[in-house]
Amino acid sequence: MPKLKVKGITIVETFAEAFPMVGTRIIITAPTMEWALISARIMTGFATSVIACGAEAGIERTLSRKETPDGRPGVAVLLFTMDTEKLQKQLRNRVGQCVLTSPGSACFAGMESEKRLKLGGPLRFFGDGWQMSKMLGGKRYWRIPVMGGEFLCEDTVGMTKKAVGGGNLLVLGKSHESVLAACTRAVKAMSEMPDVITPFPGGIVRSGSKVGSKYKGQIASTNDAYSPGLKGAVNSELPLDVEAVLEIVIDGLSADAIATAMHAGIHAIAKGGTRNGVTHISAGNYGGNLGPHHFHLKEIVG
Amino acid sequence: MSALVFELKDTPDQRLDLSPLVPERLDGLSHKDIKAIEISTTRETLTVGDAFKVKGKNAQDIHFYGTDERCDKIGARLAGGEIFVDGDVGSQVGARMTDGKIEVRGSAGILAGASMTGGHVAIRRDAGDQAAGPAFGETMGMKGGLLTIGGDAGELLGERMRRGLVVVGGKAGDYAGGRMIAGTLVLRGGAGRYAGYGLRRGSLIFTEKPKDILPTFSDSGVMEFDYLLLLEKWLRGAGMRIKLGGRARRLMGDMAVLGKGEMLILA
Repeated sequence: MPKLKVKGITIVETFAEAFPMVGTRIIITAPTMEWALISARIMTGFATSVIACGAEAGIERTLSRKETPDGRPGVAVLLFTMDTEKLQKQLRNRVGQCVLTSPGSACFAGMESEKRLKLGGPLRFFGDGWQMSKMLGGKRYWRIPVMGGEFLCEDTVGMTKKAVGGGNLLVLGKSHESVLAACTRAVKAMSEMPDVITPFPGGIVRSGSKVGSKYKGQIASTNDAYSPGLKGAVNSELPLDVEAVLEIVIDGLSADAIATAMHAGIHAIAKGGTRNGVTHISAGNYGGNLGPHHFHLKEIVG
Repeated sequence: MSALVFELKDTPDQRLDLSPLVPERLDGLSHKDIKAIEISTTRETLTVGDAFKVKGKNAQDIHFYGTDERCDKIGARLAGGEIFVDGDVGSQVGARMTDGKIEVRGSAGILAGASMTGGHVAIRRDAGDQAAGPAFGETMGMKGGLLTIGGDAGELLGERMRRGLVVVGGKAGDYAGGRMIAGTLVLRGGAGRYAGYGLRRGSLIFTEKPKDILPTFSDSGVMEFDYLLLLEKWLRGAGMRIKLGGRARRLMGDMAVLGKGEMLILA
């Protein structure tokens, strides 16, 4: 069978293996877009992987004044964990420590569902009895007095149990520079897709992992099969001329959203063709035994 | 399907209790059955057929024409659907309603939206005393929903109100927000004396500085309120363009009682 290629770049016949997660979306507003982004970036900080961060989070997109509940500039943030209890805890802690504290911020639900998470509910106690509840159109909001004025926060937010984490693309190339440039293009393309985030630094992971380790207690360790420097020592997946591999991990509110983002990402990577040094686009999986969501590149490219 | 229409034949010689004429009661009834419904309030029996011409079918969309201030309890306990009234209405329009919408082209009598818990009552002109107050036998006033009054409101607007939103385009009478437990009044034309008397919690939002402020309200100065921006945008979504902005002077009170309520006077 001939190899599948897009603009000369080989699409490896494999699949990205992804896992069920729970997720939610909140909207952070502020007097200016700059402050909305500061608040959102702090709230989604240290949230690259559930392996050690407790959550995976990122900025989905910025919102115009027309799109926010209070008519101020805003940012939509997605937050994912492995179960509802952890999601609730992460949401409370991150909004409480990073959004409540951010000058001029307000926080609103960014999705609706029957099952709700507490958003402003637990934070209202910061008001020490001076908080005020306001109902508008069936939704409850909390006004919490703070030194900077008032923190306005919606009482609850919707959530989904159909979120998916760990969609991914591996980009192989002849130089670190070329792979980084291709991944940057892909992340930018994916950032325009709804319902997804790429939670790692700049959306890119340089240290993809495999499950387990030779060391006791280490639950994840370096993906040696994709480490260029180990080509001569391990059962490598890399051709000899590949100098660097970078990964883009995608979390989404649905499997369809991830597939759409991967499609956009692959075509953004391939935009430069092979002359920029990218040779292969692959994906990470665990043999299909761990995650129920399999995103086959062959199907995604189509 | 055409709206179910009730057209008043003549000025009735007694007040009418129109509370049975709501969608959940009328759905599926024939004109004959509807005309047999009693709406009298005196010993002299009066039916719908005696007082109204009845036309149309859709009980989820009820229209009243030619009504006056003796037509009481229109949409009382309404639980869904829409009622349109081309004329004035009497007391207790939308009292205890839980959902749906009532639109009154004229003025309303006392107790409009009294103890309502949901839905929307829109009165184009004036409303009588105790709008959004406690319905007869109730300990609390409005408990949810939206009451909009295009003209003036009478005394005791929102008395003992527990939750919900009232918007008054004109002036509110004395004791607006009296003994309010919570909820929000937006007063675009000011209010009479003793606004916020006995206010425990809740907000009285004035677009202009009121003439008289009770001495038991304590000034907290001017600051930014994101809530006002949220409310402004929400009202716009509900079809009301009211400029609230984000800045207001906050007076907390009534300090004679709990003191956790507020007057927000737009700055």
